[in-house]
Order: sequence, then structure tokens, then C-alpha cells
Amino acid sequence: MSTGYFEDIEEGDEITPIDLFLSKDQVRRYARTAHMYVPRFTDDEGARAEGLPGMIAPGVMSMGLLARMISDWNQTAMIKRIGTTFRSPVLPDRDIHLRGAITQKNEADHTVECDIWLENDDGERWVIGTATVSVPAQS
Amino acid sequence: MALEFDRSILGQVFDETVFPPVTKEEILEFSSALGETNPLYTDEAAAAKGPYGGLVAPPTFVTKLRAKKFTPEHLPRFGKIGFDGGRDLELYVPVRPGDELTLLSTIHEIYEKTGRTGSMYFIVIRNEVKNQKGEKVAVIDHRIMQR
Repeated sequence: MSTGYFEDIEEGDEITPIDLFLSKDQVRRYARTAHMYVPRFTDDEGARAEGLPGMIAPGVMSMGLLARMISDWNQTAMIKRIGTTFRSPVLPDRDIHLRGAITQKNEADHTVECDIWLENDDGERWVIGTATVSVPAQS
Repeated sequence: MALEFDRSILGQVFDETVFPPVTKEEILEFSSALGETNPLYTDEAAAAKGPYGGLVAPPTFVTKLRAKKFTPEHLPRFGKIGFDGGRDLELYVPVRPGDELTLLSTIHEIYEKTGRTGSMYFIVIRNEVKNQKGEKVAVIDHRIMQR
């Protein structure tokens, strides 16, 4: 966890990565709280009936996890904009890796642009995106 | 070939949904389901001393709001199968417990892209979120892909 200031950030900096085991139960729990409790997000049989390889995580859950990575990295940062593209279904019951990097600093309004993504063990980027994050300045 | 559809549907509000007040429990459960550790989203007492003077919802909380109508009636179908292509979120004021949120839905854009596997159609549904004070909370663009 960090509460770094805008001045402490450099272009090219890594956002503190998160590696986690995405369990089926966590996906079901998210689906329940997000009113998305439908077979594709809750059980393998139901998901296969829809032509999927097995149950998947909702795209917005991946987006939420990437937003969490930013807030874990800097608890005083505020996300102004976040956009994600769901390239491949995110399959639970395995390790996933949340990653990000600072691509640009905007001195005028103390915001930073970030690339963010979620990848599997083979480095395949299942979800990619960008975010604009406001970070408090020291001065 | 240019996409043919009635362009007057673009930008027209086709749904307005008002939600019951957001509860503290709902925010805490959403935060917990994502594994949030930031006290702004997880700890009422600590958040009270923070920049918002109280608990707020994580940024993507607004994506769980479901409009009564997902798309307008008579929306043409451009493909056989639909996929969730992605989301773009712009965030303004945070969501707090007790907020009564309203979702205004429009079709923002419809466009075609041609790739290796043929044509894909993108329908962008724009949901604007306001709170009970009329403040803009968020704009959510939902890209639906059809092929």
C-alpha cells in the first residue's frame, strides 16, 4: 500500500501488481451482489449449455479488480476514467494476474494515464484497458 | 456498405430507472467481493476521517445498476450472437450510503468494424447516473458486440 504524491510518480512506473487465485466462489459472490446471478457466472454446466468452456467471471468484475489494483497501489488516488475491453472470457478456478503501468503524467491537472490489464499464467491478456487517475500533489 | 438503421434512435432516452437508496451493507459487500482493502470503501470509521468524510462505494459500483430496459424496443439486430465487448466509465461524485440513483439510458453509437473473421457490429449503450441532488455521478458506456 502506498500514499505517494504526484511528484513521486514517474512515467514507466509499474502499478503494484496483484496475483490472486480467482475462485468460483468469489465469482459467484460477485455475481450475487452485482445482480448477475445467471448460469454463465455461477456453474459450469449452465455455462456449457450456453456454448462457453465453463463458468466465467463477469467482465465488470475484472474491471472492478483492475480498479482495486489502482486503489491498493495508491489509496489517495482517485479514478476519473477507466475503460476496459473484454478480449477473452475470464475463467475462474485459476491464478490471475493484475498488472499496470504509468504511461503519461499530466502536470496541469495532476493526473496520470495508466495501461491496465488482466493476464493468465501464460501471459495472455484476457482484459486490457486504460485509466486516468488523479493523484494529490505535495505542493 | 453503410450500416442501415433509423438514426433518430441515437441519443434518445429509452429508459429511466430510479433505484432504492444505496445501503451501507451493499457497499461493504461489493467491496468485499472484489477484495478491496482501501478503508474509504471498507471501514466506516476510518473513511469518516478521509477526504469524503464517510464511506463511499468503489468506482465500479455503478456497473451493477440494471436498467429496466436493457435496449430500446425495435433496436435492429446486426448479428446472430452478442458479446460483452467492454465498458468505459467516467466518474464524477462518489456514491454514498443513502444515495438514490437514477439511470438514464440512450443508444450512443452504432458502428461496424471489419476484421479477419468478417464484420462485427458495436452498439454502445450509454447510461448516465445521477444522484438525488441531481449531481452527475458517472457515465457508463457499454459496448455490445454482435457478429
